Amino acid sequence: MTSPLVSRRRVLQGGASLGLAGLAAPAIVGRASAADELVMGTITPHTGTYGYAGKQVIEGAKLAIDMHGGEILGKPIRHVTRDSEGKPAVGVRRLSEALSEGVTVFNGNYSSAVGLAQSEIAAKRKVLQYSAGGSEDFTGSRCSRYTFHWSANTYTAVKAMMDYVQKQMPNAKRWYTITADYVFGQGLLKYAEVIGKEMGIEFVGNDFHPLGERQYTQYITKAIASEPDVLCLLNGGSDAVTTLRQFHNYGAEGIQIVTPWGLEADQMPELAPEMREGIIIGQNYYYDIDTPANRKFVEAYREAYGAPPAYAGAYGYDSFRTVLMAMERAGTTDVAEAIRTLEGMEYDSILGPTTIDTATHQTVRPYFILEGVDPAKMEHDSDFARVVYTGSDKQPAELNECEDIGSL
Amino acid sequence: MTTGLIIVQLMNGIALGALYALMAFGLSIIKGLLNIPNFAHGALYLIGAYVAFEVSSSLDSFWLGLPAAVLASAAVGVVIERFGVRRLYGSAYLFQLLLLFGIALVLEQCVILIWGTLGQSLTPPGILMGAVDLGVSLFPKYLLFTTLVSFLVIVGIWFVIEKTHFGAVIRAGLERREMVSALGINIELLFTLAFAMGAGLAGLAGALAVPLVGVSNTMGTDMLAIAFVVVVLGGLGSIYGAIAAGLLVGIVQSMSALWVPSASTVLIYAMMILIIAFRPQGLLGER
Repeated sequence: MTSPLVSRRRVLQGGASLGLAGLAAPAIVGRASAADELVMGTITPHTGTYGYAGKQVIEGAKLAIDMHGGEILGKPIRHVTRDSEGKPAVGVRRLSEALSEGVTVFNGNYSSAVGLAQSEIAAKRKVLQYSAGGSEDFTGSRCSRYTFHWSANTYTAVKAMMDYVQKQMPNAKRWYTITADYVFGQGLLKYAEVIGKEMGIEFVGNDFHPLGERQYTQYITKAIASEPDVLCLLNGGSDAVTTLRQFHNYGAEGIQIVTPWGLEADQMPELAPEMREGIIIGQNYYYDIDTPANRKFVEAYREAYGAPPAYAGAYGYDSFRTVLMAMERAGTTDVAEAIRTLEGMEYDSILGPTTIDTATHQTVRPYFILEGVDPAKMEHDSDFARVVYTGSDKQPAELNECEDIGSL
Repeated sequence: MTTGLIIVQLMNGIALGALYALMAFGLSIIKGLLNIPNFAHGALYLIGAYVAFEVSSSLDSFWLGLPAAVLASAAVGVVIERFGVRRLYGSAYLFQLLLLFGIALVLEQCVILIWGTLGQSLTPPGILMGAVDLGVSLFPKYLLFTTLVSFLVIVGIWFVIEKTHFGAVIRAGLERREMVSALGINIELLFTLAFAMGAGLAGLAGALAVPLVGVSNTMGTDMLAIAFVVVVLGGLGSIYGAIAAGLLVGIVQSMSALWVPSASTVLIYAMMILIIAFRPQGLLGER
């Protein structure tokens, strides 16, 4: 492939002097220059429901490049962004476009469906993907040598949350679960049952609800009737927000509501402060995580964008920071070398001590348990919840479905 | 499974159903009187919800938020009828559908421009916070309140339609449009009022739903689908069928949690298919 590229570049240079560059430039210049620069792509939703998140992923990614000095190993870094609209088909198309501009490393999927579709392209085109999302398939049944996953494994999330609840409320043995009826919710339930068994927890009932359900009072009524100590929500996004909202209407004092993966900090304003009080929620990221790397990141992010970062911004930043760190350690921007260095790498991410699992490409990192702040004690507008516990237990190998991660 | 729990689920179902009935009642008034499939009904519900949210949270009074929502949705309804729907009364369904669908999209985007894509929540007013302890389970006071308001409003409108002179004119307009206008009654004004009434009901349903489901830009579309199922179940052209069907949908949805929780949404549509198959005119429809 090298020699045709060189000759194409020569052709192009010739063309440029003839004034033809405009016609052929975008595709060919990108490829030809790939060796003298590093092109990093962020393909993320700019429009649609997750439009706000996409903007933050880009902000974070850009900051990672800027804070690295805009160059690596003497080569300038160029940042290419594309709108995935949060749709798998569009995400794949935009990724292909970005690849033709010379992108060799990309992040930004935000939605698992988009990321998993892109993962196949990444393996085929031999480029490095750093994905995020709630699906454990990234590092499970659909694992790939070219894909690394930033979000915690759902096992880590459930374990951290259950450990905290057991520590705080050793007598809370009766649990009721409300679970979103698709892969994500079922996965969380599977782990809750495995971990709960060791802890001697009795699951007094579970209701599966359809994804995108708008009414939860019928499940809550039923849950309350079985007198649980803990009501555990194994759903996410707007489903979790609506359940928490409707549960609040019951004023059920004796029942602790917990959710390992229910909502990220940027969704917390969707709940009224009274609804957040005392809830226990798991988080992939929260801006007041006390690590040197995070303090530096939060300060720079606030200065650049005027607000503290949330999950999306942290993902954009930390995933690119990790890749750049690996390339520095490898001494090259070559994708295969970067992947080899990332595998098994131990480092301090913004989240704390982190390692990358060679067998699955899961980023094994701390997961944060937060408790909602009493509205009267909120110190500022975004003081929604505070970190009360951190857990980083790795998913046990026997529960992982990644059989063969593939070759380079 | 205790009888107590079944009764609580039944109450929950009636509460949900009352909101569906309120929403679908407005839709069926517009369908019955103007013969217009109001695809903008979900957007009117959306506007009601956001206006109630905005007024309630900025003035700190849910009690002002409710009437404000009704007035806002009714006012938007008047504009839609006067400047849009009115020109298409004689036209094919497709044009009406396109116009109303377009209006719904525009209104939804306006809501996104003003309030953004991130949802919001509102707690019920203090007096309606918390729940009543029914022994087997708790039942939120706010759900009792929405049920009560929905039924009072439905009974009120029933009274207006069945027992007043204005109602008599409306009913006459339903049966014999030309005759009513030949009698010198301003049928155009009547149509505007009817559309505004239907729109106001959607606004009220939206406002009542806020402490339950919060506000989000997709809530109108979610509710529109259920409202159309309810109207079809009740029988097209039968104004009151929507009330019975609304309650039925709410009860089925709530009861399903006892036996087949993950099928709550599917059941609504399965029920629609069954009823259409065996009773194509709907529950209370005539033909």
